[in-house]
Amino acid sequence: MDAAAEQKYDYGVVRWFTVMAVVYLVVGALVGVYIASELAWPFLNFDTPYITFGRLRPLHTNAVIFAFGGCTLMATAFYTVQRTCATRLWSNKLAWFTFIGWNLIILSAVITLPLGINQTKEYAELEWPIDIAIAVVWLSYMFNFIMTVHNRKTSHIYVSNWFFLGMMVMITYLHVVNSLAIPVGMFKSYSIFSGVQDAMIQWWWGHNAVGFYLTAGFLGIMYYYVPKQAGRPIYSYRLSVIHFWALMFGYVWLGAHHLQYTALPDWTGSLGAAVSLAMIIPSWGGAVNGMMTLSGAWDKLRTDYVLRFLIMSLAFYAMSTFEGPVMSIKTVNALSHYTDWTVGHVHSGALGWVAMIAIGSIYHMMVRVFHVQLWSEKLVNVHFWTATIGTVVYIVAMWVSGIMQGLMWRAYDEYGTLAYTFAESVEAMHPYYAMRAVGGMIFLAGSVLMLFNILMTVVKASSEGSVQRARTATATA
Amino acid sequence: MNSLKDYFHTDWAAMTATDWVGTILTVVIFLLMVGLYVYVLRPKNRDKFEVNKHIPLDDDETINSGDSNG
Repeated sequence: MDAAAEQKYDYGVVRWFTVMAVVYLVVGALVGVYIASELAWPFLNFDTPYITFGRLRPLHTNAVIFAFGGCTLMATAFYTVQRTCATRLWSNKLAWFTFIGWNLIILSAVITLPLGINQTKEYAELEWPIDIAIAVVWLSYMFNFIMTVHNRKTSHIYVSNWFFLGMMVMITYLHVVNSLAIPVGMFKSYSIFSGVQDAMIQWWWGHNAVGFYLTAGFLGIMYYYVPKQAGRPIYSYRLSVIHFWALMFGYVWLGAHHLQYTALPDWTGSLGAAVSLAMIIPSWGGAVNGMMTLSGAWDKLRTDYVLRFLIMSLAFYAMSTFEGPVMSIKTVNALSHYTDWTVGHVHSGALGWVAMIAIGSIYHMMVRVFHVQLWSEKLVNVHFWTATIGTVVYIVAMWVSGIMQGLMWRAYDEYGTLAYTFAESVEAMHPYYAMRAVGGMIFLAGSVLMLFNILMTVVKASSEGSVQRARTATATA
Repeated sequence: MNSLKDYFHTDWAAMTATDWVGTILTVVIFLLMVGLYVYVLRPKNRDKFEVNKHIPLDDDETINSGDSNG
């Protein structure tokens, strides 16, 4: 029990964000498995518009990115900024405003998206009143973080805080510009951008949501939790500084690689691909930096299941940050674009990197903010293997399916006519769609085990009164 | 060679004010990045940066973070 930390820092809001992140992980993965199953077995639509793929897919992406990812980022940022700056949050009340506001936004997404209320901008589907609410709540999160850093008792701002702050600043800018729209009703608006400009802005936002929200933010997690869980300092602090600035400079150029062979000027796609390839260097530098932190202590992976999540996430980070640039090259993109290969790539990043680093950090925090050991360590190990196996099954299915799709779509006979109809390519995908659903189910099963373990840990903490004891105990450190 | 020359041909006269602002800003930021890399990787500055790597471990935590799940 760390009574000193409980009394020194604001852990209440961190506890709630942490538990809600796990709840949303299960909800988001469940919806994902359902829509994957719909693609394999379309009768699951049940002719009900509210549960069709088109309406549930944005619910799935919003749930995993903004509900699970958002709550994780808010829990970890509020936790690490306090611990690395040796001061409590600038405003605990504002942090609670962020928590309540963010969860109300998630609730509004759950209601509006199945009803078909949708801006039709990928990863930014929510309508304009919710977009304004997102901006306000996000700014409250950022302002509180900045002011906490300002109040720090340390002379240096640790690098994880740079990554969190970089994410907060860039997401504010990206969200506001991408969401600019003319409202024509309470739940209907039109983007102020049109045609090719709309496409460019969409992917400037889309790829930077990946680059800053799902990468920079989660690298902030990596730079704190990997050293902390391993009990040794990061391998190279200098490398982390270069990693940060290269990421901030490089990521904003990449969006156009999503629009190869479209009406966008050709050079923009080439530039996007060139900078994407250059980004392999800092990305791998960061992954190696995280992994080498374990240098001389690899044996810890044998017994520390939480550390396994953190290190496995870095392996997936390295893999997907190599795969992405390769897919952005025009020759490869000609085969991969619009196929399931892209879906496989996204999920190797989302399940392998983002979810695993988030899960590792959540298990790490649970012990510290609830002041009890986890209810079951064995379940953490079972979760690790289900998450890893589920992710691998999912992405292998999509790789095979995607490459087959791309090859079938562009095959032609001696007369120059297409060798396969589109329907034939869909039929060929069926076994892989079923395999993808199974991979998702395995991952979901692990997530359910995690939720059970987390809730039992909360029950254990409650019955033992550990939080209350930590609040009132005489601090020893 | 000729095609390479064509590929990099720029009609400077057609550059708008926005084009110039973007170009100058990009080149300046690129040079700043090069300067940063030199500064950070200079052996003389090594200790100045590396001393900060211990911050997460020096927070008076009373839990042994190297243990299995704790």
